Amino acid sequence: MRKAIYLFSDGKLQRKGNTLYFESEGLKKYLPVEDVGEIFVFGEVEFNRKLVEFLSQNEIILHYFNHYGYYMGTFYPREHYNSGYMILKQAEHFSDQSKRIFLGRAIVKGSARNILQVLKYYAQRGKEVESNVELVENYLNKVTEAKEPNELLGLEGNIRETYYQAFDVILQDKTFLYEKRTRRPPQNYLNTLISFGNSLLYSAVLSEIYKTHLDPRIGFLHATNFRSFTLNLDIAEIFKPIIVDRTIFSLIGRKEIKKEHFEKGLEGFALTTEGKKLFITEFEEKLKTTIKHPELKRDVSYRFLIRLELYKLEKHLLGEKPFEPFVSRW
Amino acid sequence: MFVILVYDVNQKRVAKVLKTARKYLYWVQNSVLEGEITEANFRRLKGELSRIINQDEDSVLFYIFGSMKYSSRELLGIQKGGETNML
Repeated sequence: MRKAIYLFSDGKLQRKGNTLYFESEGLKKYLPVEDVGEIFVFGEVEFNRKLVEFLSQNEIILHYFNHYGYYMGTFYPREHYNSGYMILKQAEHFSDQSKRIFLGRAIVKGSARNILQVLKYYAQRGKEVESNVELVENYLNKVTEAKEPNELLGLEGNIRETYYQAFDVILQDKTFLYEKRTRRPPQNYLNTLISFGNSLLYSAVLSEIYKTHLDPRIGFLHATNFRSFTLNLDIAEIFKPIIVDRTIFSLIGRKEIKKEHFEKGLEGFALTTEGKKLFITEFEEKLKTTIKHPELKRDVSYRFLIRLELYKLEKHLLGEKPFEPFVSRW
Repeated sequence: MFVILVYDVNQKRVAKVLKTARKYLYWVQNSVLEGEITEANFRRLKGELSRIINQDEDSVLFYIFGSMKYSSRELLGIQKGGETNML
């Protein structure tokens, strides 16, 4: 599997000797173009058209983030697995209200079930989250009745809010209190971690979409609009609890991430470079972790699990097999 | 699979071999590169290299591992290169 490269230093990324070359103060490094799948840019990185053209030829995706570590955008090379047929199918499932709501419900259900797995895991370990479990289950039961995408998004929001409120019980760490969900920029440490993790997951899913015939511009739960990719947001919902939140729990539980890893800006908090590196190391570790896939009967990594989810969606759109979201077993 | 590439070639061709190997593997130190590589890319790399080197004069060695599971690495002195994903 091609690797993800994270650039934090300020410097210059270029094409050199038919491969990638990164140069910054006191650092010169060639990156094997055949081994790089995506590049995450956090630092002040200079590049030119020649580089972008080279990335496009080699099907390398480039994501860039702002100072807060907030996802800003992606250089998405000219589609390589173009499929007009798949786009038509995607559009058809978006425009047809009943087809769209089916997929929307499936995504919310998948997300809620994974949330329940996380909560139940902690309930077993003696954390008092039973009331949150019950609430989430109640909302989950209403998902089947939701008639409109907006209703569905509302339920999704309720589920997530209930779930985030359980974080304080699970973590029991005074430094990392949930309070309420804040964004752009987040207003406390825990929210900063949630935002940063979600950003990383959105781009990881986008990278996987690139390897399929799907078009990231047409989402089902998140309405397609004029400005952004939405399909990656949809699929990310299913994986947030098992990838992002578990990363957060590990980092805080092991007391690896501390107050010092945050800096306060004019409006909110951001992770320092050191903090971002810590988070990414754990996040990458999580994506690489393999689990025994019940149907394939072999070990697959979480990253590949995301791709499998997209293949399932393709099959659904083509009318071969109804989409069933992935639900973690523990 | 994981591959360690070691080469000893005529000075005239050192640059060419290095340039080609860098497309697939991470430079470790003079005349040594390493990295994870797919079967297909490994074949491509060998193809490209065999077109560059002089069969009667140069030598390129590959140490091939299924994975790095039962291996460890020790270093004396300074670290010159190697694989990183955070820069």
